[in-house]
Amino acid sequence: MKPSKFHYHAPATIGDAVGLLGAHADEAKVLAGGQSLVPMMSLRLATFGHLVDLNKVDGLAGIERSNGHVRIGALTRQATAEHDTTVASDVPMMAKALPHIGHFQIRNRGTVGGSIAHADPASELPAVALALDATLEAAGPGGERQIAAADFFEGTWQTALAEDEILTAVRFPVWGAASGFAVEEVARRHGDFAICGAVCGVELDGDAIVRAAIGLFGVGPTPVRSTLAEQALIAGGAGSDLADIARQAADPLDPSDDIHASGAYRKQIAAVVVRRALTKAIEEARS
Amino acid sequence: MSETISNVTVTITVNGRQRDVTCEPRKLLSDVIREELVLTGTHVGCEHGACGACTVLVDGAAVRSCLLFAAQMDGAEITTVEGIANPDGSLSDVQEAMRDNHGLQCGFCTPGFVITLTAFLRDHTDPTDDEIREAISGNLCRCTGYHGIVNAARQVCGRANGGES
Amino acid sequence: MTTTVGRYIGQSVKRREDPRLLTGHGRYVDDVQDAGTLHVAFVRSNVARGRITELDVSEARALPGVEAVYTADDLNPMIQQYWASMMGPRIEMGGESVYPPVSVLAPGDVRYVGDPIALVIATSRYIAEDAADLVVVDVEPQRPVLGLREPITNTDLVHPETDSNVSQTMPLPEIPEIEALFANAPHVVTRTFAGARATNVPMEPRGLTVHYDRYRNEMLIRAATQSVHEIKAFAARLTGVPESNVRAVADDVGGGFGQKMMVMREEAAVIMAAFKLGSSPVKWIEDRRENLMASNQARSEEGDLTFAVDAEGHIMAVKCNFFEEVGAYPPSAGATAMLAIGVFTGPYKIPIIIPGCTAVYTNTVGKSAYRGPWALETIFREQMMDHVAREIGMDPIEFRRINIIQPDDLPFKTATEMTLENITPSETLEQVVEMLDVDSFRAEQARAKAEGRLLGLGIGGYVEPSAIAFGVLNSDPAVMTMDVSGKVQVRLGTGSHGHSIETTIAQVVATHLGCDIDDVAVIQGDTATSPMGPGTGGSRTAVIAGGAAQTASIEMREKLVRIAAQLLEASPDDLEVNGGVVSVKGTPQAAIPFAQLAMTAHMAPDMLPEGMGPGLEVIARYRPPTEFTWSNATHGCVVEVDRETGMVDIKRYIVSEDCGQMINPMVVEGQIAGGVAQGIGGVLFEDMAYDSDGNPLATTFLDYLLPSAPEMPDFEYGHVESMSNTLGGYKGMGEGGAIASPPAVANAINDALAQIGVPALTRFPFGPSQIIDAINAG
Repeated sequence: MKPSKFHYHAPATIGDAVGLLGAHADEAKVLAGGQSLVPMMSLRLATFGHLVDLNKVDGLAGIERSNGHVRIGALTRQATAEHDTTVASDVPMMAKALPHIGHFQIRNRGTVGGSIAHADPASELPAVALALDATLEAAGPGGERQIAAADFFEGTWQTALAEDEILTAVRFPVWGAASGFAVEEVARRHGDFAICGAVCGVELDGDAIVRAAIGLFGVGPTPVRSTLAEQALIAGGAGSDLADIARQAADPLDPSDDIHASGAYRKQIAAVVVRRALTKAIEEARS
Repeated sequence: MSETISNVTVTITVNGRQRDVTCEPRKLLSDVIREELVLTGTHVGCEHGACGACTVLVDGAAVRSCLLFAAQMDGAEITTVEGIANPDGSLSDVQEAMRDNHGLQCGFCTPGFVITLTAFLRDHTDPTDDEIREAISGNLCRCTGYHGIVNAARQVCGRANGGES
Repeated sequence: MTTTVGRYIGQSVKRREDPRLLTGHGRYVDDVQDAGTLHVAFVRSNVARGRITELDVSEARALPGVEAVYTADDLNPMIQQYWASMMGPRIEMGGESVYPPVSVLAPGDVRYVGDPIALVIATSRYIAEDAADLVVVDVEPQRPVLGLREPITNTDLVHPETDSNVSQTMPLPEIPEIEALFANAPHVVTRTFAGARATNVPMEPRGLTVHYDRYRNEMLIRAATQSVHEIKAFAARLTGVPESNVRAVADDVGGGFGQKMMVMREEAAVIMAAFKLGSSPVKWIEDRRENLMASNQARSEEGDLTFAVDAEGHIMAVKCNFFEEVGAYPPSAGATAMLAIGVFTGPYKIPIIIPGCTAVYTNTVGKSAYRGPWALETIFREQMMDHVAREIGMDPIEFRRINIIQPDDLPFKTATEMTLENITPSETLEQVVEMLDVDSFRAEQARAKAEGRLLGLGIGGYVEPSAIAFGVLNSDPAVMTMDVSGKVQVRLGTGSHGHSIETTIAQVVATHLGCDIDDVAVIQGDTATSPMGPGTGGSRTAVIAGGAAQTASIEMREKLVRIAAQLLEASPDDLEVNGGVVSVKGTPQAAIPFAQLAMTAHMAPDMLPEGMGPGLEVIARYRPPTEFTWSNATHGCVVEVDRETGMVDIKRYIVSEDCGQMINPMVVEGQIAGGVAQGIGGVLFEDMAYDSDGNPLATTFLDYLLPSAPEMPDFEYGHVESMSNTLGGYKGMGEGGAIASPPAVANAINDALAQIGVPALTRFPFGPSQIIDAINAG
């Protein structure tokens, strides 16, 4: 299990990196943390003539708060974000999702942007980005553009990024103080890709729910945002029948079978994880 | 396939010694450690980042060496299992605890556990049992059922073992 | 811990293997990097069954760095003999064992996904894989032969050389009197149980380096093997190189669990390739995908069981009919169930057994030993005990108590004519019941249920036919030499792949020779220095190699005592040995250290007793008095099942084990823990599934799920030590952990689910998806 040959590039600027992607078109691939990409290369499930390593690019990593948002640079290591106080206080859903990613050795190397750009439908961060209406910043030959998370995930490992575009940062809106968040997932073992998981957030005003986020992962080719269930929750408030809300979130899903679970199981469990996550999120928002 | 691809040369500090390594860009760090640096204590158990046998410290952080290319390591400081024992060659606390608690049998996964526990217990002086088990969840062992390894971590933290006979 | 010099057996002596392994100084097969070594990569089939319509290696051969590319035509015709020592010669050679047809590379057709088609040799593994990608293979797919029962009548054949897919069968007999018994029994319960296909997964995959020097006609093999003597003999048979010219070495080996006991096809292919090449060392290190896709597998087995039980709960008779697949190219194609049937009655007094079994070839990877190869008997029987108990309205523990072999039943002759002796099944059962505190558990279980939580308790018991001692396995050797300095070396035919043999055998020797343990060197794993033995496997080493080392130690001690008696002018009966010194009892100043006795033996033979020759060597071999040395254990498990997600949490795991005299309790408990983890894995996580086209679905660690630390409990141990009839009173126990744990876990899950009326699951794995299916159906 050894990767096939490639040319290695370690550009120092994002402009150079974009230039290399443009120059080598479909032969080039961006390398960030490499925790998903390198095994695919070793298994020779993926081969690239040119690897563009972002790890030497200046300014791609970092976490900052401004204008009601937290901006996380794409190359920020997952471990860094996991232990960051700004992320913990201002994007708690992110902080709660991160420990579910693989194992700490993976998070030491894996990046926030890499996980989102890789767009594995069973991974946590794409669902977090989708549920929180994150804004994705991308650099391309024409400069920077911003992509709403709702427009970003197109299929398994497929995103709205063009071949010569690089995800540079993710911006998360900061919710109000009376908010609660929870991440619930069922995985065969600790650290495995979830069979099915939910990321939920609520913002309360008394018993009224003024903002709700319900995201699901592991249930289809992309992460899923349960907008109808969110609306029902907002309509019903904190005293809603959460099992019923969760069923509404699960109803439209049509997950497929694999060796770890049937599609029917995933759909059934989706309602369980959503209910559990919402219960915890509401509890947290109240406390 | 026949296209010529030039080798890369990187300077790495390995277990405190600076080394220049020249290799193909595609060569995995795990292979460079084993073959170029002839530090064969770093074991390759899966080559897809799932078993943890190849775990090393890169700039102090525990990472899988099979998920890195040596080409990326210019300027990095790497510690392998050969660099864990005390300067006089005696076993480190983690190593001694692994021995005391029969935390290894065939020994193949052991270097990865030694590195993982060394990094984890450096950063967590009083972990719970669940935190210990979570910390080693990215390292697979087929011999021990993990009990001796968990007990080794407990010993390093000065706590009693569980599940004694 | 501190040990008392001269008495080591029974103590948890720290392992002497550990310092090197903990610091990265082990020497596994891939750690030896001789200059000029060439590297192998295989081209493998991605089709389960089909005809090779095109095979073009020219582009691969032309790649710079490629030394050779071999296909079936290059290697298969050169094979001289292909059979394993443990199974004996092939039927066509006059032997009795069933083997698949001989080939090391696919002979014109492919028979499973992973079937090696070509072997590339290059200057690096990277280049070898590049070249493998350049080999052009076209296969016309055919409908694969799959399943455990369908292949029996399927006219499509896995091996066109055979006339049936059935490799071995013993039909279930129909005996009118027995049918009448079943027809009239107060209770008759029938179930079918299924295992999940599993694979051993040593953390070090297979691998070997073979250097054949055609000018010397010598072959040196370094291998990740459980038996250097087997791979040496096998290589000699394969190639025709005289066995005396073949040397096999295994230093540290990273686990085996049966996978490295027999020589398998890729290893044979590498031996043939190196033989054909005739010059450089040729190394193949199996990668994990190959290991999961193409290294041997096991446990794809089913059993149809019927128990007849009387009104009081005594088992009157059982029928068991086993079905198993052996894949395409198992190292041996016989039915594992043959041995399982022999021990099916386990720890119970079952007066009548009506057995049958059928093994079939399929278009999947071959079956071979996996820790407790016959484990299906316990795995199915112990689940059946719970099913029967539940159906007749009896507590499963009580049902076991009624039927279990009691001390005064021993020796007990089973319905299969095995004589069980020196076992303690009822004692281990009661110890587990006590450690579990079953009454308190039942109360807790009821409280939990009231809160909506499902707890369950399961028991599994077994009697293990350890230390099998027939055929090539009959005995083990120990060659002991004492140096001039008075230190001893003991050379064994064993191999350690996690077994702590260097430590435990040193404990045996130091105890029986009467010296400091640091004065004992244990040497194994090299046919040039170790005498012929079958290797380590089958829970044999402590019993048989331990017996050999003990025999050698006692003989050596007697020799030393005789020399000392001569020098001290005392009677040997008045002497004692302690701490490497022979002294007169009660007169400690009249003493001679081993070094002085050794110097006498080696340098002053004229001072030796009359008739004693010079030197200090002992050659011993130990053959146990019986073909099996029985050990036993009972496992107890408590689980919580999440009724909404089907996730299982193991809350407690208890093992009460009787392995006779323990040499090193720490090592014993380590063996149990590792085995139990594998058994738990086989129920909850591990499933080497194939799809309907014969594609393996778990070829990475993302899909083949080994238990990891968070899923494992702390293990609790109880010990019963009843001596076996072997020399040291030892009993083998290496496999038991993996044998009794699957039913204990399964029974606990079903006990939990039974509280909400869910019919018991019978087919592994019991993953969350399967458990929720059962709950939904219930």
